[in-house]
Amino acid sequence: MDLVLLAWKNLWRSRRRTLITLIALSFSLMLVQAFHNLSYGVYSAMIDSGVRAGSGHLVVYHQDYVASRDEQFSFAPGQLREQLSALAGVAEVLPRLYLPGLAQSSRESRGILLTGVIPQAEQRVNPFLRDLPTDQQLESLSGRQAILGSRLLKELQLKIGNKFVVTLQNASGDLVSEMFRVRGAVQTGIKTIDSSLLMVGHQRAAALAGLPGEIHELAIVLQSQKFERLVFPALQQLLKNHPQQVGLSWEEAMPNLANAIRLDYASQKFIFIILLLIVTIGVVNTLLMSVMERFREFGVILAVGASAMRLRLLVFSEALLLGLVSMLLGSALGSLATWYLQEVGINLRYFIDETLEFGGVVFDPVLRAAWDRPYMLQIAGFMLLLSLAAAVYPAIKAGRIKPAEAMRHH
Amino acid sequence: MPLIELKSVSKIYPLGSQQVIAVDDLSLSIEAGEFTVLAGPSGSGKTTLLNLIGCLDEPSRGEVWLDGQEVGGAPQPQLAKLRLRKIGFIFQSYNLIPVLTAAENAEFTLMLMGVPKSRRRQRVVELFAELGLAGLEERKPSDLSGGQQQRVAIARAMASQPAVVLADEPTASLDSQASEELLALMRRLNREQGATFVFSSHDPLVISRAQRVVTLRDGRLESDR
Ligand SMILES: Nc1ncnc2c1ncn2[C@@H]1O[C@H](COP(=O)(O)OP(=O)(O)OP(=O)(O)O)[C@@H](O)[C@H]1O
Ligand SMILES: [Mg+2]
Repeated sequence: MDLVLLAWKNLWRSRRRTLITLIALSFSLMLVQAFHNLSYGVYSAMIDSGVRAGSGHLVVYHQDYVASRDEQFSFAPGQLREQLSALAGVAEVLPRLYLPGLAQSSRESRGILLTGVIPQAEQRVNPFLRDLPTDQQLESLSGRQAILGSRLLKELQLKIGNKFVVTLQNASGDLVSEMFRVRGAVQTGIKTIDSSLLMVGHQRAAALAGLPGEIHELAIVLQSQKFERLVFPALQQLLKNHPQQVGLSWEEAMPNLANAIRLDYASQKFIFIILLLIVTIGVVNTLLMSVMERFREFGVILAVGASAMRLRLLVFSEALLLGLVSMLLGSALGSLATWYLQEVGINLRYFIDETLEFGGVVFDPVLRAAWDRPYMLQIAGFMLLLSLAAAVYPAIKAGRIKPAEAMRHH
Repeated sequence: MPLIELKSVSKIYPLGSQQVIAVDDLSLSIEAGEFTVLAGPSGSGKTTLLNLIGCLDEPSRGEVWLDGQEVGGAPQPQLAKLRLRKIGFIFQSYNLIPVLTAAENAEFTLMLMGVPKSRRRQRVVELFAELGLAGLEERKPSDLSGGQQQRVAIARAMASQPAVVLADEPTASLDSQASEELLALMRRLNREQGATFVFSSHDPLVISRAQRVVTLRDGRLESDR
């Protein structure tokens, strides 16, 4: 305890040097925390919108559908939807039927992906559908209303209320056609979706394809991503009764997004480590200077009976205190920056005009941070360790001082 | 049995390709309660001899005995312990830790020994009263005169009641009046408390106050009276 007190006093002996080191440590910690929290927030939002518009946090497919995307691998969900909806943390369970086909207006024809959905359920979670006015929403499972991707609508030269025909191959291999009417249009910003999406009531689509009650995808949207750890095992349990079906997480179902995020985190980590290492070198320099300046004083301390170990501990205590103070200061600054980035955010609209797409998911132009407290704690602890590591060489130096020599030459 | 006994001790420093014989085959014994000065011209080996007695340095040849124990060749941590318990040190200047107060400096060895804070303070208050330092407990070394600093160093050296107090030219940075006062103080501690002092000096005035004068020349004993 007395040693720690002495270390604390020693730290403030060269006030300016200590302050500069403290600021360097605190600022780099703040930068790392704030920057991480910003990308954490952006990714969470991205995952959320990607998951809601896409295949959900968790998704069930026929095991052969995953790789082939062949529409013959449909399945009957049975009680799965009800069972999953009953689990804690599940916001919505969305059955979907995907049928490739051809859409024809009086002027043009285009390849489309006819998607049979439960409209009310989709509207509750899908951000693009939610933004549509009520008079553009699908009203029933079996109606002839259809929502088209904005680009598809334009290419077919259709307007809301116009009729068009969809042709596809049904389950028995026959070509079948059905007339639909444009109810609304969505713009997601993703080209492939905007030019091929054709959303209709599930019953109508299933009847057309001759697959009544069947689906290709059962997307599960959770209240938040953190429920994944709870719901995923429960899903696997339920799927024991459905040996043909597999349950995937969003990372497996949307590998592009997951990989893009992983890659970005990895490059961030690399930059963070380099930043912290540079700062650590500065700390080594500070500690070493302060040890060399006190050569004679350390000689006296050793002469009056302190062991070399105690001197080493003194140097470590100084580094520990330096690390602790900057850990607290840096985390306070990091929290402040995170708070600002969460409340105000960074509006990319000032810089870029186009729709922002990342890993196949469109994101909000206002980047907002989210709190990743375990990470903040972890990186703060890491910095503390680095300051201790920075003390190793100076401590060895201090421990090697020979009192007789220190007294004679300094 | 003498408190300090040097048996044919030599200390040889390598200096480039040559050797410096700082202490040359020297034998000396000092009893508990003595007040001994090491005199001699510059380079005669006073500091080296004090370092050998104080376990700060090891002899090249011969034996150093302290309080019935041979100290040469002991491992470093053990030497540190020996210095802590048996020896008090006073150096010529810059003895004190600048960030600590006078009292904290005086307590320092007791702190190293793990003596509880209240007992430490009590001992220091006693010593400060005796050394004419009362009221200066909370001063930083930079706010003390040279003589006061040296007295704080004496307090630190005496605090743990060591077997011997070693002082290397303790008055060299002081004016003659302060030197005189410091010496009188050491002499009183020696008489009243029976503390053993061994110190070096080349100040004739200081030397004249000693009970025993050991004069060195070129690392050898020139006279002992
Ligand atoms: N570490 C060392 N390396 C080389 N030579 C040394 C070393 N320490 C002392 N010496 C030499 O040993 C001799 C004795 O030195 P010492 O310091 O003991 O003398 P001193 O009597 O204390 O002198 P002064 O009165 O100047 O303090 C001197 O010639 C000195 O140069
Ligand atoms: Mg000397």
